[in-house]
Amino acid sequence: MGPREKLALRFVLTAVFWLGVAGIEGLLMRAILAGMLSNIYGVEHFYGMMTVHPFVGIYGWAYMAVLGAFYYLVPKVLNKELYSERAAYMSYWTLLLGVLITWVSGYVFKFASLYTLYWPLPIVRFPPTSVLVFSIGMLLIFISVLLFFFNMFATIFLPQGEERGAGYIFKKLVTLSFNLDEIKARIKGVKDYIPGVYSYPVFIVGVFRGCVDTTLNALTMTGLASILAVFSLSSLLGFKLPTSLVDPLVYKNVFWWGLDLVADGNVLIYTAATWYFLVPMLVGRKLYGESVVRTVILADLVVSLFVWNHHMLADTPQPLALQIQGQVVTWGELITMGLTIFAVLKTIWLARPVKYSTPLKFILLSILGYMIGGSAGILQASYALNRYLHNTQWVIGVHAHVLLLAGLTLTLFAVIYALAPIITSKELDSRLADIHLVLFFSGAIIMSSAMGLAGIEGMLRRTLYPNGEYAEYMYTALAGGLLMAAGYLTFIVNFLKTYGISTVITVFKK
Amino acid sequence: MYIQVFIEVFYLTLVVVYFAFIGFFMWVTSRKSRGRREESKAEEKGAEKGMERDEKIWLVFLLVVAIVGNIVMLSPAIPSIRNVLWVNQVPEKTFEIFIENYEFKLPKYPVRIKVGQPVEFIVRTNDVTHGFGVFREDGTMVFQIQVLPGYDNRIVWVFDEPGSYTIRCTEYCGFRHSEMVVYDAIMVEGG
Ligand SMILES: [Cu+2]
Repeated sequence: MGPREKLALRFVLTAVFWLGVAGIEGLLMRAILAGMLSNIYGVEHFYGMMTVHPFVGIYGWAYMAVLGAFYYLVPKVLNKELYSERAAYMSYWTLLLGVLITWVSGYVFKFASLYTLYWPLPIVRFPPTSVLVFSIGMLLIFISVLLFFFNMFATIFLPQGEERGAGYIFKKLVTLSFNLDEIKARIKGVKDYIPGVYSYPVFIVGVFRGCVDTTLNALTMTGLASILAVFSLSSLLGFKLPTSLVDPLVYKNVFWWGLDLVADGNVLIYTAATWYFLVPMLVGRKLYGESVVRTVILADLVVSLFVWNHHMLADTPQPLALQIQGQVVTWGELITMGLTIFAVLKTIWLARPVKYSTPLKFILLSILGYMIGGSAGILQASYALNRYLHNTQWVIGVHAHVLLLAGLTLTLFAVIYALAPIITSKELDSRLADIHLVLFFSGAIIMSSAMGLAGIEGMLRRTLYPNGEYAEYMYTALAGGLLMAAGYLTFIVNFLKTYGISTVITVFKK
Repeated sequence: MYIQVFIEVFYLTLVVVYFAFIGFFMWVTSRKSRGRREESKAEEKGAEKGMERDEKIWLVFLLVVAIVGNIVMLSPAIPSIRNVLWVNQVPEKTFEIFIENYEFKLPKYPVRIKVGQPVEFIVRTNDVTHGFGVFREDGTMVFQIQVLPGYDNRIVWVFDEPGSYTIRCTEYCGFRHSEMVVYDAIMVEGG
């Protein structure tokens, strides 16, 4: 195993570990909502767990896995060296430490303002030490991903063997991400101009455009974490800053603008890029309609900058024009996602008869997950319907968890199943993989649907029901969660059976 | 029947259609096809810029869905938007509610309203973000809004069914969030 392979596997295995942790948290929260475990887990523990759960799931699992996959794939596809292996390892340790500290802030320090951090909840309700610990965890996470993005941009844009500065990378990034060179050429009236972005494979275009979204996300979150750090530090030092320094509505707009970019950069664009890479490889045929696909990625990037308002449809002081704008642009995601799925399915169609290998099956069900979760998203992102759905279990069930578990997670596993034999020259057992897929997908759908239907019956998210009002739904959700856990364990067994514990040890040895 | 049930039925229908579609797609594409492997028409001609016919049709379909979807969502068919975009009903009554120390301070208990009468709720708080949600006796939600500290959070609503309604905080606001419930806070009479 070479250093590249080792780096990738280390990220992926750590990611899988965090997925397990997020899964346990999820199971515990469902169990508590079903009326169990109340003698072990109190209110503080429940909300602390809920606060760290998305950080463990998104940054521990999804980001860790994405970092590992892209550190490996981007240089491979470009036939180049990774810009800095040292920075890659630094991003590993900072991400691991960041997620760990965030986790500790919830479990040990009882920080429980949920990931939304709505101003001034963290400052008003929680001790400054806990806020400080949490903000340090958050800062480490975002330092890590910023290191990753820079490494990606430098690897992609720096010409091999030439000395160029960060300014060069930045200029190329902005120009190519938004096709500014083409716009310039159009203005000048140049005929038959081929945009610079065409010299990069579609996968790479998806990676750097997705990274633009996630970089903006990381910068926003770094800013917000710094605000939390400043407020908590100053109150630890004895002078309390007034919370009125920050306006709750402005804060909420900035928060959602930045946070939504992780949904659209990481979840949508990275996923699309991964499909564009894997599907042609798996069916042995080039991607259908490449030029359209490139335009779609650009459209996705532009759309993603203007959809944050769909998180704020329940805020009546928010200007109505923004509410309507948020709704209309969000429907644009139906078009971009629709075209993405079309290109992928048409590629498979033109390659038929297709042998459905493990990764291809995972991708097909992941697409199904995106179709289901995306449709739910568009319904709740409509101003009028949001009045009846906002903050109910619907939002977190049939939208967020379907997208994250059936959609994103299955695509990430497709990458793992597809890359494992390339990295290690040994294939994972395909029958166990089938069991993994069936258990995980059905579990995700059962759990999320039970939550969603509870939401239709009025069950709120982010809310404990001490009288067990929605226990039947939560039992069903718990059963779905257990199916997913069984699928997850099947994967672990498969991995250990194929590669042995010795591989795991090698990956983590210096 | 309340509106969420329509959403549920619509959504479940979509799920069934999607499952059937993906299942059918996998079946067809894995079957041994007769004849040669198809090439896309544009690829055969060697011209790959722009869209092919079927992709264009699909794009038009997506556009139509998006436009129709937006029109329906903004139409007065959905009660929650009627008072915002279509009819400017002057509220016959205004209720000012204040939230402090995890508690709803109502002007009266219960608040009395008549069926069909437009009323306005103005909800304020000075501490943290809360939510203001109204629920039927069976637990289903009538509507909710967020309650931002320092702002007037207003909503005009017309109740179309008599009964007694519960108020609940719909945004997590700290460890005592789920205690923020006032059963039978609103009595809607007549009809
Ligand atoms: Cu509250």
